Amino acid sequence: MTTTSGTPGDLRALTQDLRERLATARLGGSTASRERHTGRGKLLVRDRVDRLLDPGSPFLELSPLAATGMYDDAVPSAGIVTGIGRVSGRDCVVVANDATVKGGTYYPVTVKKHLRAQQVAADNHLPCLYLVDSGGAFLPMQDDVFPDREHFGRIFFNQANLSARGIPQVASVMGSCTAGGAYVPAMSDESVIVRDQGTIFLGGPPLVKAATGEVVTAEELGGGEVHARTSGVVDHLAEDDAHALAIVRGIVATFAQPGAASYALEPVLEPHEDPETLYDVVPSEVRTPYDVREVIRRIVDGSRFAEFKALYAETLVTGFAHIWGHPVGIVANNGILFSESALKGAHFIELCNQRGIPLVFLQNISGFMVGREYENKGIARDGAKLVTAVACSVVPKFTVVIGGSFGAGNYGMCGRAYDPRFLWMWPNARISVMGGEQAASVLAEVRGPEREDTEAFKAGIREQYDAQGSPYYSTARLWDDGVIDPLDTRRVLGMGLAAAAHAPVPAPFYGIFRM
Amino acid sequence: MTQIQTLLIANRGEIALRVIRTATRLGIRTVAVFTDLDVVAPHVRAADDAVRVESYLDIASVVAAAVASGADAVHPGYGFLSERAELVRAVEAAGITFVGPSATVMQQMGRKDHAREVALAAGVPVVPSYSLDQDASSFAYPVLVKAAAGGGGKGMRVVRSEAELAEAVAAARREALGAFGDDTMLVERYVEHGRHVEVQVVGDSHGTVLHLFERDCSTQRRHQKVLEEAPAPTLDEATRARVRQAAVDLAAHVGYTGAGTVELLLDADTGEFYFLEMNTRLQVEHPVTEAITGLDLVELQLVVAAGGPLPLTQADVTLSGHAIEARVYAEDSFGGFLPQAGTASIVRWPIGTSETGGTTGTTVRVDHALEPGQVVSTSYDPMLGKVIAHGPDRESARRALVEALDRTSILGLTTNAGFLRALVAGDAFRNATIDTAWLDTAEIPAPDPALPRLLVAWVSAMITASEHGHPFQSDGFRLGAGPAPTVVDLDRPVVVDRAAGTVDGIGVRQLGAADHVLDVLVDGRRVRAVVNVQTGPGGVLEVAWEGHRHEFTPPDRLAGAAVVGDGSITAPMPGTVLEVRVATGDTVAQGDVLGVLEAMKMELSLRSPFAGTVASVEARVGTQVPLGAVLFHVEHLVGDGVDA
Repeated sequence: MTTTSGTPGDLRALTQDLRERLATARLGGSTASRERHTGRGKLLVRDRVDRLLDPGSPFLELSPLAATGMYDDAVPSAGIVTGIGRVSGRDCVVVANDATVKGGTYYPVTVKKHLRAQQVAADNHLPCLYLVDSGGAFLPMQDDVFPDREHFGRIFFNQANLSARGIPQVASVMGSCTAGGAYVPAMSDESVIVRDQGTIFLGGPPLVKAATGEVVTAEELGGGEVHARTSGVVDHLAEDDAHALAIVRGIVATFAQPGAASYALEPVLEPHEDPETLYDVVPSEVRTPYDVREVIRRIVDGSRFAEFKALYAETLVTGFAHIWGHPVGIVANNGILFSESALKGAHFIELCNQRGIPLVFLQNISGFMVGREYENKGIARDGAKLVTAVACSVVPKFTVVIGGSFGAGNYGMCGRAYDPRFLWMWPNARISVMGGEQAASVLAEVRGPEREDTEAFKAGIREQYDAQGSPYYSTARLWDDGVIDPLDTRRVLGMGLAAAAHAPVPAPFYGIFRM
Repeated sequence: MTQIQTLLIANRGEIALRVIRTATRLGIRTVAVFTDLDVVAPHVRAADDAVRVESYLDIASVVAAAVASGADAVHPGYGFLSERAELVRAVEAAGITFVGPSATVMQQMGRKDHAREVALAAGVPVVPSYSLDQDASSFAYPVLVKAAAGGGGKGMRVVRSEAELAEAVAAARREALGAFGDDTMLVERYVEHGRHVEVQVVGDSHGTVLHLFERDCSTQRRHQKVLEEAPAPTLDEATRARVRQAAVDLAAHVGYTGAGTVELLLDADTGEFYFLEMNTRLQVEHPVTEAITGLDLVELQLVVAAGGPLPLTQADVTLSGHAIEARVYAEDSFGGFLPQAGTASIVRWPIGTSETGGTTGTTVRVDHALEPGQVVSTSYDPMLGKVIAHGPDRESARRALVEALDRTSILGLTTNAGFLRALVAGDAFRNATIDTAWLDTAEIPAPDPALPRLLVAWVSAMITASEHGHPFQSDGFRLGAGPAPTVVDLDRPVVVDRAAGTVDGIGVRQLGAADHVLDVLVDGRRVRAVVNVQTGPGGVLEVAWEGHRHEFTPPDRLAGAAVVGDGSITAPMPGTVLEVRVATGDTVAQGDVLGVLEAMKMELSLRSPFAGTVASVEARVGTQVPLGAVLFHVEHLVGDGVDA
């Protein structure tokens, strides 16, 4: 069922909008703030990252549009740059504060993004490189930053536990590193500070004066000379940003090389289908059906896809392929989920786990089939089997939301709650518990259907769902790892697979499948 | 006349190749000689046969090689034994023909004091001279002190006052003794604005002496010729005629046979000229004469050596156009002219690559013996080759030479090709206002590294991006954006945006890149250069642009802080230890000379960096030392307030 109705130009327009949003976010803080920063001889955060990475290294930036539409839109990228890149030949997670954005302070989403980067490091056994330039927690929002399990303290909990697992932790202090932040270099395996630029202290000069009356300069309190020569909080004293980054690169060069992937890599083949035509085969209107195989053919090596159970439960497409030489099992929606589709998916996921083959979910799902017939036949039971299989999967999972992500379909297709190694969204994606129209109807029904303002009420609900179902609403809150240009899908999946291949895959085991 | 059957060439390098070329064309079997350093040298491979000798200066060894290989003639080339009458006698004693004048003539002309007398007898003017026995206060300064047995600028000093005389004579004597084994000195008037004009002559054993016009070799540095041209520019016809005739008179007077050169000093202020010396051999710069006459001087040498008459008369010798030669040396012309040693990695001579050359009516000739992978040592002459351009007139030849030097790309070690290019392209040479002293004081600005840096950065980024085949390939991928620019660490960071086609914001468009030749438009200007970029540890970042090799060394940011001088005195260049003046335990003052290193034609004093005690002496007189070898250690005097 190849359907190319709709307006193909829309996906291109949505992608152009995405590129513009990214370009804006990547500027960081205001012009004045950036000029102030560089005027001190400091590199801008993305320049730091570029100089840290090997020449020409790609960078898989995570959630660059975090905090979009939040905090008065004043915290681009949530004031922190995170991602995976190659440093001295090793794939590393980089976490770098952007001091041009609110002094690099931690908003709630900043914390979430920092923790997410550490999670990526933990899942994929990637060394963590912290380029610190932050005033610490954003004090006005301390209740959403400081105390909870997944708040600021978790950063250091993670550093200790990552280090314990043999995942190197390296910090380069290139600006402020205040209060709790002071523990980033202190908790690192090895740390660097930039002379006359980096400072580390638990309490800054104003706090010291308030607490003890001692008057002290920032440099005397916790400058590079102090920490490199006297306190021993850092191990290396750098002359400037470039020097500090070179030292970090030198440190990374001493790390053990990661082990090889647990599976054999095939030679990389470009898809036969021009990936550009993705824009044409995918209608931007979520409700317009199309054959997901057209997407698969534009993502996988040589456009070669060996389908599993091609003739059975056709609303879920499953099969094997390679992406950048890595073997993958693909699970892709091609319509609504029925019992058979769920069973087919569960079976296929078990196969991939048995064989140690990473899973790629291409999510475009409005949900499981509803209605008496299906409920009575136990669609929940079969849906549970799919959810169990997904939840208990031990192979790396990757999810790309290429259309809708609604209801329990989100669960069965490895939504954020199911710990995919990475989850990306296309700019045409929609995500919510159900469609706005359905939610409006349900809520209007519950409220009492025979009311005069029902239409206005429903319009309000639809509006809310429309706004919250946007991929930018999602990415702002770290529900995903980024909104991507559909053309980048193959590349980011390849980078994700390469990163995931660093971590060993345990033996599969499952909870009870409800039969 | 007996035709020469087998010719042994008692030389190496480009001149050996050049002689082999003519001999082979004439159907003569060739024999090369080689030392242990030259087993795989180009001249050995080019010859039909090759025989090992102890040294190119070892007469017995060379003659034995000639006998063993069945040679019936020996060509000495230039340098080495080419002007040693002992060789002539030894060769002739072995019943073998020497390609050159008789031993007697060679001896007569080889010593400057004798040659001067010959010149006087032949009616050729000589520079007023003095004897060191005379009262030095009576000399008309400036005077030139020079070794009687000398040549090539060794054992030569300009003295401007009586006070400097004794020291200059001592230094010249030392050089002369080391170089020629004879420290006899001459003193003569020094011409301030002198031009070096020389006349090529050739004589046969039937009494014919011809001149092949004159050359001008005034572009000299410390008496070393740098550029040579024929005919001499700016001379009036009357002077030309007098100069040429004087040379013929002199050669005829001594019954000169073979190719020889009469060197004259032309006073640019008066037009007067004086006999300097006669070189009884083929000159380095003979190709310019060949270019303008169309003659093969080696062929003429062989004809005369075989006893034949010269196959032409003076009237047959015609002059066509103008030719200029540039000598390519392994030296860092912009870094104190220090001799360079190393391995040539990429060698591109301006031949066989005629796409940019070929200004109408011009031809380029290159005589060289430098190949890629060749080790250039300090053991032999640092000349790597010669680039000769010929054109219908001086200006076209000059332009062709600039173009040819632009296409001379030697990487792996530094040469003077870029310096030559700058000289030839400069106003002073274009206007032919150069005298022999000019280059000693002229400031030739070092080439600007900006464009070379851009080229190396561009190629580095290109090589970086060529690493592919996995999702972390070095293509600068960024989400939803063009690839990130590559920051290339050269002597400073350079930002290359290949997608946008910029380097540090300057527009670059690549037209071609193959076999190390980069062809780009830089800000709209077409640039072609030879680039060698090898990434990784011990990598190479170099480019030859307009003849000059630019090498970039990224700062080693992981190196420790600068170490304060530790009192080790190291060899500033590869060379031979000439003198050791101190012993372990000696007390020395700052600046005291601890020893003298000779590298090629320079004597370098090795001085103490501070006052102290000589802790150790690693230098041994006569030993060859590599660059950076520790020669002395000096320790601070205890208690002088400096941490040792």
